[in-house]
Amino acid sequence: MELRYDEDFVEAAAFLCTSGRRKGVSSLQIARFHRERERLYAIPDADERNTAFFRLHLEWFREWGLEDVLADLVKEFPLLRKKLDVLAVRQTRGKNDEGVELYVNEAGRRSAIIALSPGAFERDGSLKDYLRHELTHLSDMLDPAFGYLPELDLPGLNPAQQRLARERYRLLWDITIDGRLSAAGHTPMASREQHEAAFSRGYSFWPEARKADTFANLWRNTAPRHAEFLVLIVDPRGLRDAHQPAPGASCPLCGFPTFAWVAAGALPPDLVPTIATQHPGWTTEQGLCGRCLETYEALAGAASTSGRRAG
Amino acid sequence: MSNVLNWQLGRDMEYPYDAAYPDQQFAFVFNINRCIGCQTCTMACKSTWTFSKGQEYMWWNNVETKPYGGYPHHWDVKTLDLLEQANPGGQNWGGKPEEVKAPYGKFNGQTVFEAAKTFIGPQGANRALGYLPADDEWSAPNRYEDHPVGNEKGAKGAYFKGGELLPEHKTWFFYLARICNHCSYPACLAACPRNAIYKRPEDGIVLVDQERCRGYRKCMEACPYKKTYYRGTTRTTEKCIGCFPRVEGKDQAGQGLPMQTRCMASCIGHIRLQGLVGLNADGTWKEDRQNPLYYLIHVAKVALPIYPQFGTEPNGYYIPPRWVSRPYLRQMFGPGVDAAIERYTAPDRELLAVLQLFGKDQRICHRYEIKEGPKVFETEVRGKKFVLYNDTIIGYAKDGTKIIETTVEEPLHLRPDKHANSI
Repeated sequence: MELRYDEDFVEAAAFLCTSGRRKGVSSLQIARFHRERERLYAIPDADERNTAFFRLHLEWFREWGLEDVLADLVKEFPLLRKKLDVLAVRQTRGKNDEGVELYVNEAGRRSAIIALSPGAFERDGSLKDYLRHELTHLSDMLDPAFGYLPELDLPGLNPAQQRLARERYRLLWDITIDGRLSAAGHTPMASREQHEAAFSRGYSFWPEARKADTFANLWRNTAPRHAEFLVLIVDPRGLRDAHQPAPGASCPLCGFPTFAWVAAGALPPDLVPTIATQHPGWTTEQGLCGRCLETYEALAGAASTSGRRAG
Repeated sequence: MSNVLNWQLGRDMEYPYDAAYPDQQFAFVFNINRCIGCQTCTMACKSTWTFSKGQEYMWWNNVETKPYGGYPHHWDVKTLDLLEQANPGGQNWGGKPEEVKAPYGKFNGQTVFEAAKTFIGPQGANRALGYLPADDEWSAPNRYEDHPVGNEKGAKGAYFKGGELLPEHKTWFFYLARICNHCSYPACLAACPRNAIYKRPEDGIVLVDQERCRGYRKCMEACPYKKTYYRGTTRTTEKCIGCFPRVEGKDQAGQGLPMQTRCMASCIGHIRLQGLVGLNADGTWKEDRQNPLYYLIHVAKVALPIYPQFGTEPNGYYIPPRWVSRPYLRQMFGPGVDAAIERYTAPDRELLAVLQLFGKDQRICHRYEIKEGPKVFETEVRGKKFVLYNDTIIGYAKDGTKIIETTVEEPLHLRPDKHANSI
């Protein structure tokens, strides 16, 4: 597996070393770096000049031990070395842009890109913690036993529910990763307590005992599976087969999940025929959401007004 | 380090080079009270100087919403914080104001040059205290646009009772237009290890010699206003050039007369007035009573330097916004704020006339005179008597050419009947 770098990334990382923000960089080295760099400005051809700058920055990136930090981490993940052709590092455009992406081309060759802030080299400790977490994601993706699929199979969910499901997937995956790292004696990105609080927020509708059990299982799960996550994210409330009003279930008329069901006795009887005409098969027992009731009341009001006008 | 006089601080201060002053100094006044944040200045600059590849993140002119906005993000707060760390609790003003040499009293704290000694890097002490913004700090140049700050928690769906009343609004923000201040003691120049930055002896405009610059980015780290920008395609630093061809009178539109920069001339809110001022041997301003900049800064004292405590003696001056929290303004413009706002709120006859010069002509006004006109009305503004006279102010270019003649009251033009619906 080859480590590759984006030229902006190595340049910014080298300059971080010259600015004194990384320990162990001597003033003599900095002076040498600048002297060598200054010479390159004289290269007349812009492409040749850029290539020369990249080479020089990469040399110093290696000289200052920055590549070793990455290479040592990668050694902890034999699956990456075995299954990846290239691991590229690019400069992040901001905090939200950080992370790792796996790419597979038509020939089946796999490569991955890590988006990293060069500023992270200021503190090797937190950089290693972050990289270890991200590389575990990558290693899971490459592990056939994990069974990763790039697209989540979420049939029957509307876009809002799909987004929620993806967020829950990320939450569960992060819990198992930090659980594994913690068990191996590494520093996780978030503590067990922080993860447990996040899990509790994500599954607030579950009884406490179920939340505690499921979280504990996730935290000590040494070999998580994509399929296990799917079971927990797709229909955590168990509403898929509920054909009656339940908090968070979808309204049979508009299809949106709702917590504002119309109470059984609150549905005006004169609206029932109109709704039934537009939604054949709907029964009053299935209920409807407050927003749909408002719509049908408004439509009925408009019809009676126009009827009065016509009369 | 040399000792140089920084009149904005009312004292001598340390600077890495000996004092050397230009014949004239490029300077400008922005009236924040008039700025509507339209960014016309920003685009005038962008479309003139920084539209090429590699200059995407360069905004030599930008307009940010204070208190939260800033480009790069939080540039001022970060430098203020570094200074506070270097000199905890000591960044304050004192002393009595004196004409010309100490108009705002004396600054007792440390400047970016004096505080630099407390930060030792691998190559020794820096020449100016600063920081190099990270890449994401250069993204989103107008972040926090129109975000106000409130001094108390509001109730949903209700306005603060009396929140719009002066002297300070309870919820406020303001637009701060910024360009390079072409400082008298530039931190960028002090920090450059290649001596690639220089001040032009003819007008004090600060430039980067592109042949000498080797992209160390020390200037970006040192400039407390963060007005130098690295260009990845050339691996050199670029910055505002004060539209020097215009200032030299080489723009054909000026017919040989020195012109104001593109950002000044394009301002639709007429908030800007740029000019050139003469300097004494010690760097203080030569008395020039009829120069509008001299009048606004040294006579009326309504325009104040931005963050004078940084110690670079910036040549960008601002008429502070009337409605903003005073402690915030004192931090940004120094101790002259209260008096400046009081004078601006109920301007006297001369000040009101000089304020009419802003944005009236693209050419630089070197001298003005006022012809007295009739009294229009009188009233009281916040307990002070205010009389409006319809005086006429006349502005002259460097060679004495009359370039502006305008009255305090806006002239009323009646369109002839036959063109009633035309524009």
